[in-house]
Amino acid sequence: MFSSNETHIIKFLQPKNIAILLIIPLSLFCSITVFNPVMIINSYSQEETIKLTAIFAEPKERWDILVEKALEKLNEIHPDKKIQIEYSVLPYSDTRTQILTAMAGKSELDLVSLDQIWLGEFAEAGFLTDITEKTKVWNKSSDWYENNWLGGIYNDKVYGIWAWTDVRALWYWKDLLNQSGLSPEKLKTWDGYLQGFKILSEKLTDKNIQPIHLTSANHVPDMWYPYLWMLDGNILELRDGHPSKGKYWFPTYNSKQGVLALEFLRDQINAGIKPQINHFWGQEFADKKFAVMLEGSWILGHFPKEEWKNLKEKIGLITMFPVPNNTTKTSTMMGGWLFSIPETSKHKDLTWELITIMLDPEVLMPMLLKQGYLPTQKSIAEGNYSKEMKSTIPYYEELISLIPYAKGRPNIPEYPQIADHIRTAIEEVYQGADPKQSLDKAVEDSMKVLGWK
Amino acid sequence: MPSNRANIEPYLYLLPSLLILVVFLLFPLVWNIYVSVHNVSILTILKDWEFVGLKNFIDLLTEPKFYESLKLTLFFAGGSVLAQFTIGLVLSILLNQKIQGTNIFRMLLIIPWSVSTVITAFSFKFMYDDNFGILNYLLKQMGLDSVGWLSDPNIAIWSIVLTNIWYGTPFTILFLTAGLQSINPLLYEAALIDGATKIKRFFFITIPLLRQFMVTNLILITVWSINFFDLQLIMTGGGPLFSTTTISLYMYRQAFEFGSFSGGATIGIFLIIMNLLLTLTYIKIFNRRSKL
Repeated sequence: MFSSNETHIIKFLQPKNIAILLIIPLSLFCSITVFNPVMIINSYSQEETIKLTAIFAEPKERWDILVEKALEKLNEIHPDKKIQIEYSVLPYSDTRTQILTAMAGKSELDLVSLDQIWLGEFAEAGFLTDITEKTKVWNKSSDWYENNWLGGIYNDKVYGIWAWTDVRALWYWKDLLNQSGLSPEKLKTWDGYLQGFKILSEKLTDKNIQPIHLTSANHVPDMWYPYLWMLDGNILELRDGHPSKGKYWFPTYNSKQGVLALEFLRDQINAGIKPQINHFWGQEFADKKFAVMLEGSWILGHFPKEEWKNLKEKIGLITMFPVPNNTTKTSTMMGGWLFSIPETSKHKDLTWELITIMLDPEVLMPMLLKQGYLPTQKSIAEGNYSKEMKSTIPYYEELISLIPYAKGRPNIPEYPQIADHIRTAIEEVYQGADPKQSLDKAVEDSMKVLGWK
Repeated sequence: MPSNRANIEPYLYLLPSLLILVVFLLFPLVWNIYVSVHNVSILTILKDWEFVGLKNFIDLLTEPKFYESLKLTLFFAGGSVLAQFTIGLVLSILLNQKIQGTNIFRMLLIIPWSVSTVITAFSFKFMYDDNFGILNYLLKQMGLDSVGWLSDPNIAIWSIVLTNIWYGTPFTILFLTAGLQSINPLLYEAALIDGATKIKRFFFITIPLLRQFMVTNLILITVWSINFFDLQLIMTGGGPLFSTTTISLYMYRQAFEFGSFSGGATIGIFLIIMNLLLTLTYIKIFNRRSKL
């Protein structure tokens, strides 16, 4: 039946022979690893290769700087592990959708960058890890500006750490104001702002430069809130008597203050300021297409770094949103990004360690300096590190001085819908509707969303 | 009598395609229906989903914004399809003539369709810019007032329709050109010998033989226009006010901006029904005409 060769093979494949064949290399491998420490580390490190995954929001450069440094330090702390990070950097609007789909699909994700307004809905949905205990052990919360620390808290639990911030203020081109004979001081009050527009309009007609920027983009509520806040108005207030929750947030932005704030936007339209549907986050100002613009501190990033030293000679900063009168204290809105650990992370401790390294002033500061962002930590803003920040970032001290006047947006789960109602109200006013009526209608919608109706 | 194996064999060959259809078409559809009859939102997605029956459908049908978005969809899809089809038909007939350089024209005309929608949307967004866009610049040069292409709620939807016409017409040109080239030239020669004029040849040879291509093309561009929301999302985000929120964008915003997955799924079901009804209507109309 079998040839002689085949018979030899079958004889050789007896269980005893196979066992010998397996035992010899196994024992050889064991003896080598026992007596060779290098081999032990290598084999161990191979087992301990850890890949962390993350989703961040654009621009990519900031994450490249931050992650490279932090990862290097993390690997130094854990020589027994080979830690890698795989991160996707997405446009702002896609970041939320991607995190949402990843969480809904229970995909493993270790670290995410969150806009402060997303924190509430993500935490409520159970997407984020409660890091309250970890932050207690870390014991660094007192180094954060209060508003920034609170921005990471939802229902008394910490879900995120606000890494850096930005404030919105009034920027202007000095030469254009000079040529128009307009004093920047005039732009500080509501009336002066409208008069300033007229003066600039007359002088800039032939230059293809718009006098003053007014946004009409999706985030238009962000540019209305400071006017509401400076008048002591609020977007929402905690109230008793909620049909299902007892005490819950109630929309109050149609208050007298809200109407006054929206009337100022209407006055700008009536004066001839054109609302801009396209928003390039300050690039349009850096390109000198607008003489005056209310914009975030990130505007500095649109100017080449080599120009930063002399930037103050070219552009001016008024650290405020215009106020109705000189006795009113200004207000502004702050944004920025938070670090959070998704609930699906399998490496929560390691990710927390990475976050703490990323927030270490030594690691964080180079990125802040390069991007012109403002710190949320007092030790960087005011302490030993501030000297370098002051000498590198133009108008650093002025921008930092705005933080006490800055507020964040509500981070409750219903906020995206409420912001949409406010956006609709503002757009209606841009189209000629009455501010009071538009806000009342928007509040009706917000009440439904918040469960009051 | 054929054996059992011979009976089963054809079905076995179909099995891979059927599996693909079940996994990628039937399962998502059933899942969508399942989500639409439950209360699934960003806040409940990881929890137990409450069965709500037809509540989401009733909510949708009693929501005024739904009807507003439906009206806008009719404008958007109607305007886009009418223009894409008419322009596409005319250009494909012109390009089917024996004229030198038609291949180069065909190649050039296909460019818009090969460009990504994101690039198209951004390019037109810049062109439509109130202050710095090329269109208003040209109007100013001619001494005319600038137009709020994307900022005027009465104009914005038509500006996006125009963009969609630019983007989608090449597909119709390509599709109908393929149809025209499948017509046997001998038919035209025979008609010419019989003394048929150009117009008669067009209506009695070209149109009847192109009918199947036209139906398919109309179905495709209608369904695409109804489902399309990339342009609106990038160019206006649905605004100003609600003026460019077509039903597909309304669905996207419900699901991904406001976290109401059930709401989004319900609109999705409605979209499927709407597309099916429109497809059936097209087929019926063309079948009736072909019988006549």
